[in-house]
Amino acid sequence: MEDLSLSVKNLNKYFYEPQTFHVLKDISFDIKKGEFLALTGKSGSGKSTLLYILSTMDTAYDGSLTINGEVLTGKPQNELAAFRNEHIGFVFQFHYLLPEFSALDNVMLPALKLEKRPVEEIKEKALENLKLLGIEDQALKSASKLSGGQQQRVAIARALINEPAIIMGDEPTGNLDSKNTRIVFDIFRELAAERGQTIIAVTHDDDFADNCDRTLELMDGKLIFQ
Amino acid sequence: MRVSKTNYKIANAHLTSRLKQTLVAILSVTFGISMYIFMNSFMTGVNDTQTGLAFSTLAHIRIYNDIPKDNTDLFAGHVDENTLVNVRNPKVIQYTDGIKNSAKILNMLDTIPEINGITPQLNINVFFRNGATKVNGMLSGIDVVNEDKLFGTSQYVIEGDWMELNRRSDGILLGSGLAKKLSLNLNDNVVVLTEEGITKNYKVIGIVETTLASVDNTKAYIRIGFARQLISKNMGYVTDIQINLDDYSHTQELSKTLGKMTKYKVEPWQEANGQLEAANKLRNIIAIAVSLTILIVAGFGIYNIMNMTVNEKIREIAILKAMGFDGKDIIQIFLTQSVIIGILGGIVGIVLGYLVSLLVNHIPFKIASLETLPITYRTSDYIMAFFFGLITTFIAGYLPSKKASQVDPVEIIRG
Repeated sequence: MEDLSLSVKNLNKYFYEPQTFHVLKDISFDIKKGEFLALTGKSGSGKSTLLYILSTMDTAYDGSLTINGEVLTGKPQNELAAFRNEHIGFVFQFHYLLPEFSALDNVMLPALKLEKRPVEEIKEKALENLKLLGIEDQALKSASKLSGGQQQRVAIARALINEPAIIMGDEPTGNLDSKNTRIVFDIFRELAAERGQTIIAVTHDDDFADNCDRTLELMDGKLIFQ
Repeated sequence: MRVSKTNYKIANAHLTSRLKQTLVAILSVTFGISMYIFMNSFMTGVNDTQTGLAFSTLAHIRIYNDIPKDNTDLFAGHVDENTLVNVRNPKVIQYTDGIKNSAKILNMLDTIPEINGITPQLNINVFFRNGATKVNGMLSGIDVVNEDKLFGTSQYVIEGDWMELNRRSDGILLGSGLAKKLSLNLNDNVVVLTEEGITKNYKVIGIVETTLASVDNTKAYIRIGFARQLISKNMGYVTDIQINLDDYSHTQELSKTLGKMTKYKVEPWQEANGQLEAANKLRNIIAIAVSLTILIVAGFGIYNIMNMTVNEKIREIAILKAMGFDGKDIIQIFLTQSVIIGILGGIVGIVLGYLVSLLVNHIPFKIASLETLPITYRTSDYIMAFFFGLITTFIAGYLPSKKASQVDPVEIIRG
């Protein structure tokens, strides 16, 4: 059990608007630490819905969710927020940086929120992350002035800042060209292999999915390939 | 509530990235607070002027010998109900009027620390005559120095000299309207005729104009000693003792204590001049109502702007929540913005309020004894304005912040 990163049991999810709809049907699976996992499926299959439940942001579901041995189902919102801050890094399809801040500030933000390290150390670490992603020269530029690929890499650097146990991506390469997709993929690969961080990415990109350690495919709310 | 540095940084970034909106919000607070200050300073100014004017003839407390109480039912309480009493046409045959031994009361009053000034008066109803013209009026025998200390009468002397009263035994000061009615000028002679039929000749050594017609048209001043001589009364005789306190709003309590110490009627100014107090209070209510309305309107302005900000930043709020910022952090971020707006607007508003008051204070307004529009500068108005401004911005900022904190990140991020 100890090397389990994330575990889901009997997960059911319904949408009630505009009419009752059973989105996720009795889903159970485990993910090991350091695993690089792709979540695929046609649009409407419920893969994003599943990811947001795994991310602890969506709490309206039946079943149970355990991350790093901690049962998160039923915890209050504020506790979940603190948990996300420390243990989960998030990369979205649309980069969602804070446009008023520089790239560096955006990267530092989750660590400043966590308040576990001094600001100087956080800054150093943020620059290191930007370097890892090859955009350290853009550090002081305002986030709104970066190109799409650069913004996405800043978002990844931000997701890594607190060295989270799990990094989740909702189509993290959906907006990138093949060159940038390659770069992002390689970074994920490296993080999983070298740092033992678990990666869960929702993707449409078959190429991306094929190169992962494992693929979970959803169809009509059911897990069909594991 | 401690605002974390990170939240403050985000709040600050939001404020500075929309400088124009922030400025508009600050301006609305500035306007509200400065108007609050101006309205209250102006109303207080008007009240103070009005009160000052009233107290130019009215003392804070007046002690006098009231005419005997209602004596139409002489046997009330003395006979039981089974006894029939018939008294026809009862008359009061003797009562003392005025205060015979004023020295005793004056000495007693001297020991009370709240009292700021005391002056005895001897007021007599007389006729003033100049040739064939005869005018009914009030001759006021006064203590020259103390009368001036209480009422500042010397500053209303438009011709002649107040202190001349102390130097001439036959000197009299006339109200300007009275002098006009009698066709009298400075240094003319006037004849005073008392109820008892005594006449005496006086020389006009001054004309007084208080702008209160009731005073100017009827009143004349002589020294109290000569007034006593005129009606053949002894040394200690006075009709009124006028008292001023350090603070004219504290008369009620002191009147009660004085009432117990003397058998004479003790009358605070509120009793003698109720409409003055009513007018003051009504003006204060208007000032507060108007200025609070302005502040509330300013509050709506901030509410509107903060709501817009929250809607504009809704994706950022979602992302902050995804990164682990909780509802409290989001409230802090947006509340900090409105509090900063409130504080900045408050400081500028205080300065602007002072400047507007200063400006209005210089607008000429030459009616009655006024030269310019009256303004009273009170620190408490400024503190209250700042305080109310902060409360308004806090409430106006809290509601949108609360809304922001309840944003569901999943809904926003999934689109």
